[in-house]
Amino acid sequence: MISGSARTTLMRTASICGLLLLTLVVVIVIAAVIGSQRLPFGSSLCALSGKSNCGLSSEEHAILFDLRLPRILLAGAVGVCLATAGAGYQALLRNPLAEPYLLGVSNGAAVGTMIALVFFGAAEWSRPVMAFAGALIASFIVYQLARGRAGATPERLILAGVIVTTFLSSAIVFITTLMDATRIRSFTFWLLGDLSGTTTSLLTITFIAVLIGVIVLAANARSLNLMMLGERDAFDLGVEVSRVRVIVFIAASLLVGASVASSGSVGYVGLVVPHLVRLSFGSDNRLVIVASALGGAVFVIFADTIARTIIAPRELPVGAITALIGAPLFIYLLRRG
Amino acid sequence: MMLEARNITINYGSRAAVADVSLTAEPKDVIAIIGPNGAGKSTLLRALNGSVPLASGEVMLDDRAINSYSRRAVAQRIAVVAQEAELRFPVTVTEFVLGGRFAWSNAWGWETERDVEIVRTTLRETELDGFADRLMNELSGGERQRAVLARALATEAKILLLDEPTANLDLAHQAMMLRLVRERCDRSETAAVVVTHDINLAAEFATRVMLLKNSRLIAVGSPRDVLTVDLLKEIFGLQVLVDAHPISGAPRVTPIHTQR
Repeated sequence: MISGSARTTLMRTASICGLLLLTLVVVIVIAAVIGSQRLPFGSSLCALSGKSNCGLSSEEHAILFDLRLPRILLAGAVGVCLATAGAGYQALLRNPLAEPYLLGVSNGAAVGTMIALVFFGAAEWSRPVMAFAGALIASFIVYQLARGRAGATPERLILAGVIVTTFLSSAIVFITTLMDATRIRSFTFWLLGDLSGTTTSLLTITFIAVLIGVIVLAANARSLNLMMLGERDAFDLGVEVSRVRVIVFIAASLLVGASVASSGSVGYVGLVVPHLVRLSFGSDNRLVIVASALGGAVFVIFADTIARTIIAPRELPVGAITALIGAPLFIYLLRRG
Repeated sequence: MMLEARNITINYGSRAAVADVSLTAEPKDVIAIIGPNGAGKSTLLRALNGSVPLASGEVMLDDRAINSYSRRAVAQRIAVVAQEAELRFPVTVTEFVLGGRFAWSNAWGWETERDVEIVRTTLRETELDGFADRLMNELSGGERQRAVLARALATEAKILLLDEPTANLDLAHQAMMLRLVRERCDRSETAAVVVTHDINLAAEFATRVMLLKNSRLIAVGSPRDVLTVDLLKEIFGLQVLVDAHPISGAPRVTPIHTQR
């Protein structure tokens, strides 16, 4: 007999994702209400559901819709980007430790963004485009470095990531010296992951990237299911391995690029979320990718809410909170082998 | 369905791993490839589904060059049982075997009731029905090897390529593995090509035996014609005794270990 726990069905995926979507909505509402200024819950809920005359003062209305909601939506989008990209890299590289930040892909996107800022400062669209290019180049370099004769071992991949990360870090330092002193502080903050600099166009670009990236990765999920068990077997079973590899690299780089361009390098999201998803629901990528997308949004909104409330009215970079949660988990995963 | 290798040569660097070898596999054939380590057996097998580039010659599937088929189309027709898969992610036996249905999947990529039914059948055939929801990395080497066979059978391909399928199996499961392959060949017009070191199993189950040495084909024919004292001495450089199995009558090969 093949029982329900033996495989992942469409029904199971739909119900798990439905539950996660519900959680996401609840988290968004809670995050919108709490902050350095607490908003009345009932009135805020009423206003968020689209009604007017909910009893919010015009100041409270502005905090909710002009400050908090765009930031929460960006946090959610960044979470989707990083968690989904992480799940994609892990399946593609057959490595549960692969993660945009640890692989140096986020740093690649950061260098791209900084080059765009220094050379095409006025054109806002140039940042995500250059970030995407930077992420793509960094991921291909790491992949090539990690491929040994016997294929990429997990340790080799992480080492390649460390090398690319440190190299790109010095590139970042170099570019920083080209900037004037007043901008350096905001850059340092941005490098650690900062969601406070939202603009409508960045939010729009990030959402478009989210949509394309998640759909493309989800469409290749069944191929990834086979590729994560070995590329040769996947090839024998009918997967166009080299095509899927290129598609997944591009989609994941698009996601990382969009997230870094809008909010800097938020680390460990791509490690923590897919890992928890696999632990709870199994390794089938058709579920892991979509559930990671939703779980990633929940995780980053949660982390950002802590970042902006814990020492209010001052703020921490959200990347500091995600790293605080993610680094111990990474050590645990590494030790468990 | 007919698979044909015509005078294929495969180079690794400047060295020929397979030199000018031909082979034809038709329904109900079970072809055993036998030879010393490094003779080019596995490389030859891998070339048969188009995954190794050829220096010369061609591989034809139903009289069409194999490279003119999409990977999906090849996978619907040819299944491979290779050495163990690497397992860094926890997948269940059912999920693993469902991988065999990939080549038949629809645009949405979800399995149909028929896919699940086929997997259920192959799990029963490989005596893994009690393992359906167990994780692959919790199984023994032999159980995993049976799951790899189950996945290949689940493809319903009419050509099976097996690379040392019995290497991790106990005596009973070695026989089971080859009996299943033989049954599949007889019943559903399937052909199998098996690389093996077990000459006596090959003698029992193969319809034809190919002897390879130093990348070249030395002899091909029925087990009785090919598994002879002279040919085996030429291939392995070892004196053997060949007699008939008392029950099946198939050639039985025993190495003679001379005392020094």
